[in-house]
Amino acid sequence: MIIDLHTHSDLSEDSRAPIETYLKWLQRKRDLLPIDGIVLTEHRQWNARLDYRALEDKYGILILRGAEVETDYGHILLYGVNDEMVRRFDFADVRLNAQQVVTEIARLGGIAAPCHPGRPTIGLCEHYASRPPLEGVIAVEALNGGSRKGENERVADLMARHGYSGFGGSDAHLVSLIGVCATEFDRDIGDVEDLVEALRAGGYRPVDFRHRLRAH
Amino acid sequence: MALTFDRSILGQEFDHTVFEPVTKEDMLAYATAYGETNPIYLDEAAARSGPYGTLVAVPTFAFRLRGHHFMPKSLAQVGRAGLDAGKDVEFGEPIRPGDVLTASSTIHDIYEKTGRTGTMHFIVIRTLVTNQNGMRVAVIDQRMMFR
Repeated sequence: MIIDLHTHSDLSEDSRAPIETYLKWLQRKRDLLPIDGIVLTEHRQWNARLDYRALEDKYGILILRGAEVETDYGHILLYGVNDEMVRRFDFADVRLNAQQVVTEIARLGGIAAPCHPGRPTIGLCEHYASRPPLEGVIAVEALNGGSRKGENERVADLMARHGYSGFGGSDAHLVSLIGVCATEFDRDIGDVEDLVEALRAGGYRPVDFRHRLRAH
Repeated sequence: MALTFDRSILGQEFDHTVFEPVTKEDMLAYATAYGETNPIYLDEAAARSGPYGTLVAVPTFAFRLRGHHFMPKSLAQVGRAGLDAGKDVEFGEPIRPGDVLTASSTIHDIYEKTGRTGTMHFIVIRTLVTNQNGMRVAVIDQRMMFR
């Protein structure tokens, strides 16, 4: 099963991509982008009331939700977000304590995974160069579709040094970028609980479809 | 440095400007400068048989309106320098010759984010443009970025 674990819809202030248009695009590009599901990880927010089941049924694509928060070690993706986490952390705060986020999100039933670790200022690699590593990190985004040259390449060393698992996501903010990078799971994922369990357990890898799009 | 401000400023009108009636000449000059080729913006005769039955302004004509104040005086200078980080616009009723437009501006949002180059502060100025009948002509969200 292949899921794009890092996407932004027009609910994020820097994206202009409606969710349904992402789904239409994936349906249209199915031969190039075999994406079974997406995770919407809007910037600095969580809205428990959103429900995309009608769109899931209409397009046959799994839609899960997470969040991307900003911390003193860079940006971190949260999966398995629940009300308790929202009470514990102000998602709009761009100076969250990363260690608290990693520890508490795990304790509250989710998983916190640093994204685009090779990116300057907001990636884990730069912070690890001058500060102790975070405890409890299981996985990082090894492949990010929005990274510049060299940013994804820095992550391999980070993963090897700390024993992190790696996943992939498009980090799409535009419709045509959805699904360009994603994660292939050995198991089926039906809901966000499955996703959290899978990310903790392992058995997944980043997949890159950009070459297919370039060749087409 | 964390951005601190009085959140009560959000949503409060800080500028209210009523403009002189829009003239046909202004509309045509704007459309021409814009490189517009659609006759409903340029040719009165063609516009009469168009969807509005009259000459109308290019929708972005609403961008040229400038109120008395770009920012509320109470909002302290944020950061060292600012730049235009884009606009979101919702267009409504078309602008016709003779319309008297009113622009009402509020601070819609203030937020921070972090990126490759560090922390950025954003101020979103929302301007509601209405005509003499109270109909909504445009809602313009102007995003300014400061660092």
